[in-house]
Amino acid sequence: MSSKRVSNMPPPPKPPTTLASTLIIAEHASLTGTHLIALGANTAIHPRTKLISTFASITVGSNCIISERSIIGLQSEPENDVEREGLVLEDSVVVETGAVVEARLVGTGTTIEVGARIGKGAVVGKHCKIGPLSEIGEGEEIPDFTVIFGNGMRRIDRSGVENQKLKTIARQVEVLRKLIPSNLAKFQ
Amino acid sequence: MTSKRATKGEYIETDTGNKVSRRSQIIGTTNIILGGKTVIQAEVIIRGDLLRAHQNGAEKQGTPVAVAIGRWFSHYPLKIADHVFIGPSSVIEAALIGSHVSIGANCTIGKFAIIKDYVKVLDGTVVPPNMVVPSFSIVAGRPGRVVGEIAEGEIEGMDLREVYRGIGNG
Repeated sequence: MSSKRVSNMPPPPKPPTTLASTLIIAEHASLTGTHLIALGANTAIHPRTKLISTFASITVGSNCIISERSIIGLQSEPENDVEREGLVLEDSVVVETGAVVEARLVGTGTTIEVGARIGKGAVVGKHCKIGPLSEIGEGEEIPDFTVIFGNGMRRIDRSGVENQKLKTIARQVEVLRKLIPSNLAKFQ
Repeated sequence: MTSKRATKGEYIETDTGNKVSRRSQIIGTTNIILGGKTVIQAEVIIRGDLLRAHQNGAEKQGTPVAVAIGRWFSHYPLKIADHVFIGPSSVIEAALIGSHVSIGANCTIGKFAIIKDYVKVLDGTVVPPNMVVPSFSIVAGRPGRVVGEIAEGEIEGMDLREVYRGIGNG
């Protein structure tokens, strides 16, 4: 076994991208597929994140944080026109380590925690919190302010601290801007 | 026995006995200190680049545990003590993991959790953020709860010397 592994396969096609100039994207992030990937302003993409636009486009809003080893994008052929329209993460969405998001729409301020899976075509409302290792089925619709925790237990959290949470995420992005060397040119 | 340089195996062995898999991904190496005889297996990601951003004056650089959370967002150092085993696909965001802790597969240890010595975390456990797990407890479930205690006789099995010897010598 050699330590330098050279792949004989041609490199995967670079997807068309629309990247905001204030985007923070680590060099080791991976953007693959054929549809458009649009990433908004002040969004942080950690290393080893996979964004796959093979089956539908991906739109990520501003102030989002997408952590390492998470996978964003459909992983199989869309079954209806709604799914074909693509995947949208609104603003200030936090996707933590190892989460898999195939949703149609994830609302503003929603946090998807470690290892959670959002099924194909699902719609997650605004300011939700999807707890660690939770699963949301295909096409499911989660109303705003839902917290999913434990073994699929749900409650509505209207504590009214959304604005503070959004500010925290904005600060977090500012910290990440200093810590993660961004390599915008590689993905353009 | 062959010299360390000649072996082109799965693991790279350092002078202090750390065994690091070639297939692991370690980011920000300057901020990671391995204590010696540490094994980092394949597919492991260690983030050293996410360091503490807001150092306040009273706090000494390199303090292993930061307990003060200000209203500013910040990362914090993670300390893993001796004889700690972490299973595959587990994500650790804890502040401190004590000695002789065994964490199973597919676990999530939440932010700022503190796990004391001689603790067993069973497979698939989600330890919530800020939880403090006392010594000699068994934790399981989602969210994680203390479900049992480790009897005195069971402590011997939590020593990882044999496991360390068995790795990378094949």
